[in-house]
Amino acid sequence: MNRRELLKGSAATILTAGVVGISAKEAPQFNIIDTNLSLFQWPFRRLPLDGTALLIRKMRALGITQGWAGSLEAILHRDLSSVNGHLAAECAKYPELTPIGSINPTLPNWRGDLSRCFREHKMPGIRLHPGYHGYTLADRTFAQVLEQVTKTGLFIQIAVAMEDPRTQHSRMRVQDMDLALLPRLMRDHPGARVQLLNLRPKRVQIDSLSKIPGVYLDTARVEGTDGVPTLLGKMPRGRVLFGTHAPLLIPEAALIRTHESNRLDEKDLRLLLAGNAQTLLRA
Amino acid sequence: MTPADLQLGLPTSRELKSYRIWDSYFTPSHSHPGPNGGDRLIADIERSLPATGKGHFEKLCYFPHVGIGTTNDPAFEKATRAKADLVLRPLKRWPKMLLSMIQLNANDVGASLDALNRWLRDGPMLGVYFPGSGPGALACTHRNCEPLVKRIAELKGVIMQHTWFKTGGKQGPGESTPSELAELAARFPEQQFVCAHAGGEWQRGIRAVRTSSNILVETSGFDATAGFIEMAVRELGPRRIIFGSHLPSRSLGTELSKITAANISAGDKKLILGENYRTLLQPILKTKKP
Repeated sequence: MNRRELLKGSAATILTAGVVGISAKEAPQFNIIDTNLSLFQWPFRRLPLDGTALLIRKMRALGITQGWAGSLEAILHRDLSSVNGHLAAECAKYPELTPIGSINPTLPNWRGDLSRCFREHKMPGIRLHPGYHGYTLADRTFAQVLEQVTKTGLFIQIAVAMEDPRTQHSRMRVQDMDLALLPRLMRDHPGARVQLLNLRPKRVQIDSLSKIPGVYLDTARVEGTDGVPTLLGKMPRGRVLFGTHAPLLIPEAALIRTHESNRLDEKDLRLLLAGNAQTLLRA
Repeated sequence: MTPADLQLGLPTSRELKSYRIWDSYFTPSHSHPGPNGGDRLIADIERSLPATGKGHFEKLCYFPHVGIGTTNDPAFEKATRAKADLVLRPLKRWPKMLLSMIQLNANDVGASLDALNRWLRDGPMLGVYFPGSGPGALACTHRNCEPLVKRIAELKGVIMQHTWFKTGGKQGPGESTPSELAELAARFPEQQFVCAHAGGEWQRGIRAVRTSSNILVETSGFDATAGFIEMAVRELGPRRIIFGSHLPSRSLGTELSKITAANISAGDKKLILGENYRTLLQPILKTKKP
């Protein structure tokens, strides 16, 4: 699809907005970047939007103009070169998608995977799944990844969680990431850019994270009717990015949460929905 | 454009109004209403109003504590027993918007039976909430629950039972699972029960209550996990599902989108978002004076 076709798609979005239940006058008003998408199948159940074409159709209907997409295959697969290649090829079919490759630093030659993400696939960032790949921030290997990725100029997304630990498969339990060491690691690696995905931030965590330069959050699992504006009020400007965690979570949920309390003005909403993500990409 | 005009991710206002949304699980200050017998409760209701307005909710049902030991605050319990006005404060302020069901304490059967008479038979309450934690929690298969269910059935009240299937086990002995609710429901085939949160881990929860035709599932209290409503409609049918918002501790986005974004018919959405709950409330509403 070229740019003209994409714009035609946007026009179609406006025209079909009523059909999918979105106010037609609202759909085109915002540029929306979803920084927390995944493609392909979740290992534990089928999801209504686990086909890329369906996911893209939903994004267009909701007015989501760009998506940073990781791969759910990266959770359990060990041939990450293949996983990242598959992801890059799939994203190439859709102009909205930016591939975010995965690195597993417990595997031999993870630096090779990183190099391919950067050189071959031109990815702007990489995604880590420490919980599923079996390491913590205390492991030396994490510091090595942080150092290497920062040198290449990419950003890192850390999946702090993929699902509520209370609902996980009983034979595959993964606790939320312990972030206690992140402040020190970030201090040791100035220039690193790290986005924490799917964090349900506790007050103490926000206090701590707000003081660390280079740490960004997403909104996918921020709960409470005024949870998103409250988080924005506590983090430094520009450090909270819109994310849906689709297709595991319903993308409409994150969109509605940005405005349901009527507490964010248009300028803040524009920054949250796209501006902050664009700034992270440029940083 | 003002923030209040935004509909991003929501159906149109017209569509939302057509659903006639009745929220069965509104949880302002759910575990304690705060100082002065309810200041935090009132503030939490006010905090929810932008979202309930945006969703065009018609009614919201919350679960007041009525002084029978469902909080850990003896001073509050005593004050509430002495002054019924404390319990009625939100209902008096929002009489057209709020419905309510008392939180019951199955660990104190005598006090709970008295409360049923006072608040369901003689008062404005429409049913009960059996909590899953706190001093009022007791697994619903415990024999204490039987006389309470029997009396609630006589009064035509609605039973909302907190349920979860947690990976790794219960958070406490007072918590109930959907399987336990199915066991209780089998003893009272004429009474309808609501399985709050569909068990949280809904793939197991839905299976556990599937053959219990007198159990409905409520939709709130867990992440906006995709596919939930589609499975619930497929396995239970659309008439055994009722919407809950869990506002304000959870969000309109998470809870409403489970239904509005689901791949089901508009008719099924209408049933889930309000009609089923109105049907469930009909028997007790008929007993209340206009």
